[in-house]
Amino acid sequence: MNKIESLGTVITTDVLVLGAGGGGMCAALKAKENNADVLLIDKMGIGWNGQVPIGGGILAYVYPEYAEKWAENVTRQSFFFNNQDWTYQLGKYMHKSTLDLADMGLTFYRTKGELNILNWGPNIYVTLFDAPKSLVALKKTALKRGVKMMDKIYAIDLLKNGDKVVGAIGLGLVDGKTYLFNAKAVIIATGNCGYMHEKTYSSVLGEGAAMGYRASAQLVNAEFSSSYVWGIKVLGKELMGIHFYLYLENARGEKIMGKYYPELMTGKHSVYTFDPRVIDAMQKEVNAGLGPIYINLKGLSDAEIAGLAEDQVEGLTHLMANDTMKLLREKAGIDPTKERMEMWPRYLYSGGGLRIDINGKTTLDGLYAAGGASSNSWSGGGGGQGGLGVQSAAVTGFVAGENAAKYTGQAKRFEIDFNQAKNAIERVMAPMQHEGNVDAAEVAYRIHEAVVPMKYNRQREAGRMKEALAIVKDAKEKLSRVGAKDFHDLARYHSAESMTIAAEFTYKAALMREESRAGHFREDFPQRDDKNWFKWITIEQKDGTPRLSTLPVPVEKYRLQLK
Amino acid sequence: MPIRNFYVEKCNGCGICVACCPMDVLRLDEKMKKAVVKYPKDCVACWGCESFCPRGCFDVSPERGRGELVSPY
Repeated sequence: MNKIESLGTVITTDVLVLGAGGGGMCAALKAKENNADVLLIDKMGIGWNGQVPIGGGILAYVYPEYAEKWAENVTRQSFFFNNQDWTYQLGKYMHKSTLDLADMGLTFYRTKGELNILNWGPNIYVTLFDAPKSLVALKKTALKRGVKMMDKIYAIDLLKNGDKVVGAIGLGLVDGKTYLFNAKAVIIATGNCGYMHEKTYSSVLGEGAAMGYRASAQLVNAEFSSSYVWGIKVLGKELMGIHFYLYLENARGEKIMGKYYPELMTGKHSVYTFDPRVIDAMQKEVNAGLGPIYINLKGLSDAEIAGLAEDQVEGLTHLMANDTMKLLREKAGIDPTKERMEMWPRYLYSGGGLRIDINGKTTLDGLYAAGGASSNSWSGGGGGQGGLGVQSAAVTGFVAGENAAKYTGQAKRFEIDFNQAKNAIERVMAPMQHEGNVDAAEVAYRIHEAVVPMKYNRQREAGRMKEALAIVKDAKEKLSRVGAKDFHDLARYHSAESMTIAAEFTYKAALMREESRAGHFREDFPQRDDKNWFKWITIEQKDGTPRLSTLPVPVEKYRLQLK
Repeated sequence: MPIRNFYVEKCNGCGICVACCPMDVLRLDEKMKKAVVKYPKDCVACWGCESFCPRGCFDVSPERGRGELVSPY
């Protein structure tokens, strides 16, 4: 029987959005606004999924009249390495996107009906929102406007007909059904890869980039944006607050920050949890045999501790610090006012993603991407700017949603190709055919051994990165011995696989880039090298293996020219 | 196990914990209208369920169900 229905439950839509976090939710809302039939699916439950509900609830933006200047600054700060078209588009779109989100019911804090707007830096503004309830509110609007939704569906692979993307395969985690979604356009919005390491990023495991790669879409910037934050070891959680760095000390009880950054010890500075200077100081102390590093808040009152978290974004980090202190007391049995606590740099997530053009389209017809799963090079190789995580997800989501909907208005529907679908499903289901003698978690923890240590991923060097790649190879070998009893296991298998892909690509691209730039630092090539490396690294599947290529930054086509 | 206590008697079956769990640890028992800790070992102690549960049903410890974190040094 060569009927698609024999392979699983077939569901048809115009636009299929994979992942209902900030990017996917915005994409779905905008696609619907542009008259498409939209289905939004997520492996978690929509409204509580992804990173936004557990994030800080910050949306930063600049006003349109400052957008040009902002984009110019970003361009100069990234040494012209950014995709200026996207930087300017993001700059111009941010304020409108904030208003759109308000209209869509995002839970902004308001005073007498007006948004609370805080000045966060020169010409940068932020509005805060109630993060836990934010996606629930957008979901309500999306449902009212006719977006269809399915919870607990784990999308693993794309369906193709010839070169076109025509849908995706999803596992029904609860109902145990295999779904074949047939769509005119698919938007991948499944986030980047947090390797289930830092807790805030446990939900994003590189699935989107992996499925895009398998379908032959191009990835870009895999070597950038790997970043570390510092946090409390026992909780496995970052410590939000701008003055805590003053209280970091080594095993001997000596304060550490002044040794390396004396300028931070006088006057008032905002040193955030992702500040690389703190990670530097911690690492230098440990390398000098003076570790571990502690935070010593002994003798301070709770109010004083909360005060250390003080920020221009009033109240926010204050609240988060209080939460963290509460967790310490209740969960770890530690009284932060009486004993010092060990601190660890913590690895956040890998960078890069599916390469998108100015319309949010990937290199494949019918495939769009948004949020952390996409990479538009707006900030060059840098991690961007604080507070722009949600904003960038929203703008890329709106852009992809609008353009995918317009595309589906003109494009004809392509049916699912039976043979391609059958082969893809066989691949997806293969781990169910054997019992296996390795748990998928072992693969994930093995991958942590490759991506988390700073000697591999922060101070990069060819020999050590090859060691890291050997660990990834070992993880892949372990993966081949993972079996699955049910769809929960099968999903864990595929998560582990996407993590191995993310780690492999990070190091392959980082090895190729023989220079240092933005967050990518090579001990063996410590200088920026514009002569040889003023280009982006792309990764694409050719004959079953990843092929790395370069793409010159087309600065001659942009507004600002490199002088 | 990271979920050291789940106070099932307080659970009203709202499903928020199932929705917010990134690791698919929790499921809803449709008949009982209660959450179930179905895959306890896969919990990474993110505290999503504990933070978002409107009834205070969860007590999650910091240890992960399947091994601890690798040193960054």
